[in-house]
Amino acid sequence: MSGDALTASALSLSRNDSLRRFPHVEDAAALEELRSEVLGALKGEHWERPWRVYDLDAMPSAEVTHLVERGLMTPAFAEETGEGRGFAIYGNNQASLEINGVDHFNLISFREGDHLEALWSLVSALDDRLESGVSYAFDPRWGYLTTYPAKAGTGLRAYATLHVPGLMLTGKLAATALELVGRGLGLAPLWGGAGGVVQISNVTRQTGPESEIIEEVESMARAITDKERSVRKMLMREHPVQAKDQIGRAIGVAQHAWSMSFQEAVNLISAAQVGVEQGLVECPALLAESAFSLMGRLQPAHIVMDHMEVKTDVLESPEIDEIRARIMRETFAGSHAR
Amino acid sequence: MFADESPDWNLDLNGSADCELCGEEPATMHLLKVVDGTIIHTHLCARCAEETAGEQTEGLALVLAVPSVLRGLGKKASPDKHDVPGGSAVNHEENFCGVCGTTLSDLKESGMVGCANCYRIFAEHLEATIRREAEPVEHLGKMPLRGPETDTLRHEMMRLERMLRELVEHERYEEAAGVRDRLAELGQRLDGGEV
Repeated sequence: MSGDALTASALSLSRNDSLRRFPHVEDAAALEELRSEVLGALKGEHWERPWRVYDLDAMPSAEVTHLVERGLMTPAFAEETGEGRGFAIYGNNQASLEINGVDHFNLISFREGDHLEALWSLVSALDDRLESGVSYAFDPRWGYLTTYPAKAGTGLRAYATLHVPGLMLTGKLAATALELVGRGLGLAPLWGGAGGVVQISNVTRQTGPESEIIEEVESMARAITDKERSVRKMLMREHPVQAKDQIGRAIGVAQHAWSMSFQEAVNLISAAQVGVEQGLVECPALLAESAFSLMGRLQPAHIVMDHMEVKTDVLESPEIDEIRARIMRETFAGSHAR
Repeated sequence: MFADESPDWNLDLNGSADCELCGEEPATMHLLKVVDGTIIHTHLCARCAEETAGEQTEGLALVLAVPSVLRGLGKKASPDKHDVPGGSAVNHEENFCGVCGTTLSDLKESGMVGCANCYRIFAEHLEATIRREAEPVEHLGKMPLRGPETDTLRHEMMRLERMLRELVEHERYEEAAGVRDRLAELGQRLDGGEV
């Protein structure tokens, strides 16, 4: 995946129980009942791998955020406060199930790299098995029925995460975003736009078979990464000094800073990654680990869970920034700009 | 992982905002500009969005567009009101779902329905706001494994209806006749099953 701007794939699949009202209007008792029925079904033997069930009410918020940061839970579900919410993770973190969020069920799966089709075959199989205990709300005309009618249809949302700092730097992402909107897709910044990491997904496109939706997202992802590649070439050709300056400075800061915000770290890693891909930087760490994975483990809840003894719920602190800077110094220790 | 899509990323809930640039057209796009790590939100109409996007943004700037359709159900509904003098649309506003109690105004305000039955009660409104294609759409994706047989039948009939229209359009009448017979047969089975 070196040199490839497609960094991660994710899927979510929304379903509802036909016998109950949707979570935002259903009463607590009915939602509780649904949750315990489904959690019971997850313990059954017809699953290839076991499910791990989490008690959301008993979880410290840093742990919940840690799940979100790892792509095991959607940010929207983490922020929900409705009744009867349940959560479980499948196998070795291959997928997870959100119960009674916006919809009764949301199956999600996330993996680094270009794997949308593999994710779909897994999620679709889990969906079939889940259905053995539930009668899904479905209409032959609308498809699977969801709380937001705009999402009714396949219930599928396919996401491709892209690393496109060149397009972002040159302001060319806007035209791309508008083109996507015309196709029912959307573009959103993953970390507030830091490092040029964005995510495209089928925001409104729900018609057609799932495989076509996935193919559409994949082909747009490829088109955008191609554009990114040519923009980088153009930047190197027309502004070689500025480009090298940006990249060289990034390596310098990464090696010598003592306090660093997550946004800054992502920006520096992004520049270093471009440097590696353009042959301007030697960085053994970025050959051993992808830039995206490095960015991932510098997120606040990752630092708390992986590096701090007291698992505090405070996710913005000078201590976290210091630890992050230390990881950056260690990671980039053997690097140099040519 | 999944990008945060808080309501903030979308347009106002009722979709009634006007474009912040021209102030004339309703805003249908949400543009985000990231300058030095700060995100500036702008609500624009499609035309202004295109113009803004066409401009080369200076410095480290980024413009992103997020369609507001997910939340913009209310706005599209307003043409309904013009139909009111015509008569039949008057009761529209009082529609509510007997299963979950959701009213049409709830739906317009939140963009959410409360249960499967809402899709039948508010079908007209939903068709007008979400499915804008002239052709009736059918679901082409996955289907529940143990859906009732009638669902499968209806699905097949919808597929055949579309096929019939296309065949007639291309003047392939012989094949069309075959499809029509098959449709009639399925229609009888469906009626028979439901009685």
